[in-house]
Amino acid sequence: MLEHSITAKIAGFVATIRENGFAVGIDESADALRIAETIGITTHTALREAWRGLLCARADEWHRFDDLFDSYWRKPNRQKRVESRASGGGAIEQDNAAGAEGGKAGPTLQHGAGDAGDAGASTASEGACAAAALETADFRTLTAPDQTRAIDAVIRNFARRLARLKTRRDHADKSGRRLDLRRTLRRSIGAGGTPSRLHFTAPRRIRPRLILLLDVSRSMSLYSFFYLRVARALAAELSDIHVFLYHTHLTHISGALSDPDPWRAQERLAMLSAGWAGGTRIGDCLAAFNRQQAARLVHSRTAIIIASDGYDTGEAGLLGRELRALAARARRIVWINPLKAVPGYAPTARGMAEALPHLDVFASGHDLASLDAALTALMAAL
Amino acid sequence: MDSAAAIATLQQNLRAAGYVAERSLAVTMLMMESIGRPLLVEGDPGVGKTEIAKALARVKNTRLIRLQCYEGLDTYNALYEWNYQRQLLAIKRAESAGPAALGDDELFCETYLLKRPLLEALTQPVAPVLLIDEIDRADAAFEAFLLELLSDYQISIPELGTITATTIPLVILTSNGTRDLSDALRRRCLYHFLDYPSFEKELAILRARLPQTPARLAGQIIEFAQSLRRYDLKKKPGIAETLDWTAALLGLGLSALDEAGPEQIRDSLATLLKTRDDILAIDNATIARLVAAAG
Repeated sequence: MLEHSITAKIAGFVATIRENGFAVGIDESADALRIAETIGITTHTALREAWRGLLCARADEWHRFDDLFDSYWRKPNRQKRVESRASGGGAIEQDNAAGAEGGKAGPTLQHGAGDAGDAGASTASEGACAAAALETADFRTLTAPDQTRAIDAVIRNFARRLARLKTRRDHADKSGRRLDLRRTLRRSIGAGGTPSRLHFTAPRRIRPRLILLLDVSRSMSLYSFFYLRVARALAAELSDIHVFLYHTHLTHISGALSDPDPWRAQERLAMLSAGWAGGTRIGDCLAAFNRQQAARLVHSRTAIIIASDGYDTGEAGLLGRELRALAARARRIVWINPLKAVPGYAPTARGMAEALPHLDVFASGHDLASLDAALTALMAAL
Repeated sequence: MDSAAAIATLQQNLRAAGYVAERSLAVTMLMMESIGRPLLVEGDPGVGKTEIAKALARVKNTRLIRLQCYEGLDTYNALYEWNYQRQLLAIKRAESAGPAALGDDELFCETYLLKRPLLEALTQPVAPVLLIDEIDRADAAFEAFLLELLSDYQISIPELGTITATTIPLVILTSNGTRDLSDALRRRCLYHFLDYPSFEKELAILRARLPQTPARLAGQIIEFAQSLRRYDLKKKPGIAETLDWTAALLGLGLSALDEAGPEQIRDSLATLLKTRDDILAIDNATIARLVAAAG
C-alpha cells in the first residue's frame, strides 16, 4: 500500500491530466495507483511509460504527455504549479508562446478578395479584426414570413432527401430485397421447420447529425441573418441539429433558435448575441468547439457546416490544426463562403488557405440557389 | 516483483520472436496482463501495428485470433452465426428417418454453431491473443458493442444461453485513423502510438527479419529509407516496405547500394513508393543523392 501523501499526489496528477483535456475517469485513477504499486514509484522512467500507455488515448495526447509529466513531477515546476493548487487542477498552457505573441500583436488586416458583390458591401470587405464588438443585433426580422418562406421550401426538400440516406447495415423489411435466412429459419420453427414464409432485409436508413457553425463577425454581416434563417428552418425540420454562432467566441444557440415562440426566440438570441458583428477568431472558436463540444456532439455520422469568409485574426496555423482534428472526428465538413461567388475570387485569405485541405465540400452558398447546390453536394458526399 | 527485469525479459522474448519493441511498448504489454485492459495501437500504415499481436502470440505461445473490421461488419460476422444449411439438412434427414428423431436442443447445439472470431476468442482453453484489426473501419455501433464485450467478456446467444469467457484473451486493437474512435473506447483501452522507427531500431528489425543481408547493404538501405521519409511523400514507406525492398535488392544479388545504377534502384523502388506522384517526385538525381548520402 502506498503512503497517503503519495496517493494524493498521484490523484492530483491524474486530475491535472484530466484538466488538460485527456479522457480519463475514476477507473484510470485506480489503475494508475495499481501500476505505481507494481512498478514502484522510484523507477520514474518505467512509471512514465506505463502511465503514458494508460492515460493517453490519442496521438496528440501521446506527444503532450511528457511535458505534462515533467511539469508535474519535476522539481522546479512542481513548486510553481502544484503548491498553489491542492488538487493539481487547472489546465497548463501548451508551449505555443511564439504563436500567442502573433495573436496579441493586434489585428492583421487581410485584404485579398474583392468586394462581396453588393452595393452596401463596405462592411463585408474590411477583413477581420480581433476586437470584440459590444453591440447586439436586431433580431426582429428573423421570423418575418416573406423572408422565410422560400428558405423553408428549400430546407424541407433537403430534409426529405436526408431522410432517404442508407447505410450498409440491414434491418428487417417486408419489401426488402435480401433474403434474411436467419429470421426465415427462426420463424419456421412454428411451422415444423418448413420455411413457408420468407423474410427479407433492406439497408437501414440513417439520419446524420448536422452541426452548423455560423460566423457572425462584421465581415460576414451581410449574410449573418440569411444563414440564421436557414439554421432556424433546418432546426424546425430536423431533430438532430446543433447550431453555434461564433465571432471572437463560440455560443450554442440551438435552444434559442428552436424556441416555438418567435418573440421569445428573438429575446433569447439578443441576449446570446453579445459580440455580434465584431472580430473573428475562427481558429480559437474551433479549438473551443473541439475541446468542449466535439467529444459529446461529433460522431462518425456527423456533417459539419461552417459558414464563414475565412478572415481570421487568430494565431497562424491554429485554424488548420483544429480543422484537421475536427475532420478526423466528423464524417464530412462543408465550408460555405459567400465570397466564393465573386468573380475572380481565390481562397488567399490565410484562414481559408489553411482550411482548404481539410474540407470535403467548399461552396459559395451566398444565395438560396447556391445554398441548395451546396446542400446537394453535401448529400452526395454523405 | 522486479519490474525492470520483467520488462527486459519481455523485450528479449519479443526480439527472439522477430519483433523489436521499445521499452515503452514492453511496459504497456506487461500492463495489459496485470490490469486486464485491451491495448489500442495507432500509427501510420506499415509501422508494424499488426505485427505486435503476432509477436505477442508467438511469445505467449498461444493462438492468434484475428478479426478484420470493415464497414458494415455486424455481429453475425464478428460473433457467431447458425449454420443454416447444415440445420436444414439435419431437419430433412430427420424427416425421412421418422417422427421425433430430432429435438430442438439437438438443432441448436454447438455442432451447428459457426464461431466467428470474437466467440472463438472467448472459448479457448488457453488465453489467446485477439487482434481486432483496423477498428476504425467498422462503424460506431459495432464499436459500442465491442466496448460492452471487452468489459464483461461474455456473450449471450438466445438459443444457447450466456457464454462466459473461459479465459480472458489479450486484446489488441489497431487503428489507422480513417475515423476517430469514440472517447469511451479509447478510455477503456491502454494506448500506444507507434511512430516510424529510429535508425537503430529499423536496423535491428532488418537484422532480425532478414539476417542474410550484408551489414553494409543493411545500413545503406535503412539510411536511404529514413531520408526518403523526410521527403514530402503521399505515402511514406513503412517498415514492411523497407523489408520488401531489401528482399528485392537481395534478389538482384547486390551487396551494396552504390554497386547498382540509379536505374536499377529505380526499378526496385516499386516496393518502396506506392503512388504515381511519389515515383515522379523521386527522380534519378534524387536517387543518386540519397545513395551517396547513404554511404
